[in-house]
Amino acid sequence: MIQFSPEQITEELQEFAARLAQGAKMLGEVGEIEAGVSPRDPVYQEDKLTLYRYRPRVAQPHPVPLLIVYALVNRPYMMDLQEDRSLIRGLLDAGLDVYLIDWGYADAEDRWLTLGDYVHRYIGHCVDVLRERCAQDTINLLGVCQGGALSLCFAALYPAKIRNLITMVTPVDFHTPDNLLTHLIRHVEVDALVDTFGNLPGQMLNFTFLSLSPFRLTGQKYVDVVDILDDVQALKNFLRMEKWIFDSPDQAGEAFRQFAKEFFQQNKLVRGEVMIGEQRVELRNITMPVLNVYATQDHLVPPAASKALAEHCGSRDYSEFSFKGGHIGIYVSSRAQREVPPTIASWLLER
Amino acid sequence: MADQTIKSDAGMFDVELLLKQARTYLAFGEQTRQFAERFQESLRSEADWVKALRQHFDLFREAMAQSAADPNVNPELARLWTLNLDTWQQAVTSLPPVPFALPDQQGAAWGDYQRAQADYLELLRQAALAALDLMEQRLHEQTDDAQPPGSLRGLYNLWVDCNEETYGRMLRSPEYSLVSGRLFNTLFACYPKDGIHP
Repeated sequence: MIQFSPEQITEELQEFAARLAQGAKMLGEVGEIEAGVSPRDPVYQEDKLTLYRYRPRVAQPHPVPLLIVYALVNRPYMMDLQEDRSLIRGLLDAGLDVYLIDWGYADAEDRWLTLGDYVHRYIGHCVDVLRERCAQDTINLLGVCQGGALSLCFAALYPAKIRNLITMVTPVDFHTPDNLLTHLIRHVEVDALVDTFGNLPGQMLNFTFLSLSPFRLTGQKYVDVVDILDDVQALKNFLRMEKWIFDSPDQAGEAFRQFAKEFFQQNKLVRGEVMIGEQRVELRNITMPVLNVYATQDHLVPPAASKALAEHCGSRDYSEFSFKGGHIGIYVSSRAQREVPPTIASWLLER
Repeated sequence: MADQTIKSDAGMFDVELLLKQARTYLAFGEQTRQFAERFQESLRSEADWVKALRQHFDLFREAMAQSAADPNVNPELARLWTLNLDTWQQAVTSLPPVPFALPDQQGAAWGDYQRAQADYLELLRQAALAALDLMEQRLHEQTDDAQPPGSLRGLYNLWVDCNEETYGRMLRSPEYSLVSGRLFNTLFACYPKDGIHP
């Protein structure tokens, strides 16, 4: 039944307490936690947005720039977390010219920003900056998670500016049966939330994510970390992830209102009913080549939610890449480093 | 000019999260130790170990259930299954405080919010109790397969797995969606109707 005695339990508990005491000292000595390791230069700024260019790692990078549009939720350094866990570095090594939109941290000034501001103005301006800077009519766009949904909107509204579109762990059909986030937001009165707080506090969003797996994410993880408190490198890796998890920017109120209601609650994206400003988003207007990357064990964006793009977009050159892993593993696992950047790069270079 | 790497010191990590969980784990260990002690004692006098197990697992379950009925009985043990409510309350403390001088309508709203929290806690309690049943079943299965947990940590990991499973089922239920929606909505209703944003 239980193959250990009360004495063994006492011994195990004493060892645990001793490791904890020793490790607490190490936590105080571990020093700076760095995240976002690849050198980059700001090339454009607007309001809180900064468009970065990552320094190429080959002599002659591909002439068509790749613009990464990350989600408004959490921070984009997850894609460049540390030297051996960086999708961005993998893309640079493959010869791509990589740019990324860093949305910054929304505050009270941004309460009235709409999805129209994010899509037409912010993404639109960044795309135009790159078209001009690189002397290209069209650029490559890579949208990540919610940033993928925004990229779909942009590509549908401005197909002539996008040469190739890559979506990564991107929700398209928000009403697949296994969509937990939709399930959790279904009965939330989004208008009351935004009218009360203005912007959505990042902590509320973080609660929602942690509540998907609380015993692992807020319990077991901290018991397990006691085992590695004497390993500086492993501890730094852990702290880097912790930093990212709790680095949750507030969400601009009006943009959140529309995204939560029209995408999550009403599933308007696949019905062709989302209005970005005055313009309707029709996914069938996405006619450029599309690579849709999803994760088989994604608990936030289930594969079915992503794969719905196949039937809704208008591209005749549509491909999928199924990554064996989860929503976080697709950025940071060793498998991701081996598989994701080379797949994206080779798909792009063929086109 | 190259952009600076995003840096922070370890101070950004909330060490209290770790310490809280460590204390909770120690409480779990102490409860398990008592269970193991009693179990061994009764095995000396009781030939039927399945009966002895049931008897003493019931005591373990009772200790957990007591902490569920009144988290003050053993707060460290209670934290094992109230984690999600703690996370919620931490998120709420990051918000502007609910105004103290509540007009009647908001006073009623505060009551609604407290009821929503109680209902949420009740769902967590039910899932935690179901996890204990599942854990008992898994322990039997593992014993039959000659692979019982060989350490306290192994037992704790099994406990986590069982809780994730029963909690996950509860999370996917329509009832959870309703109650968690009420938790948010009743909180919003505690604030002035015209909002608190600048």
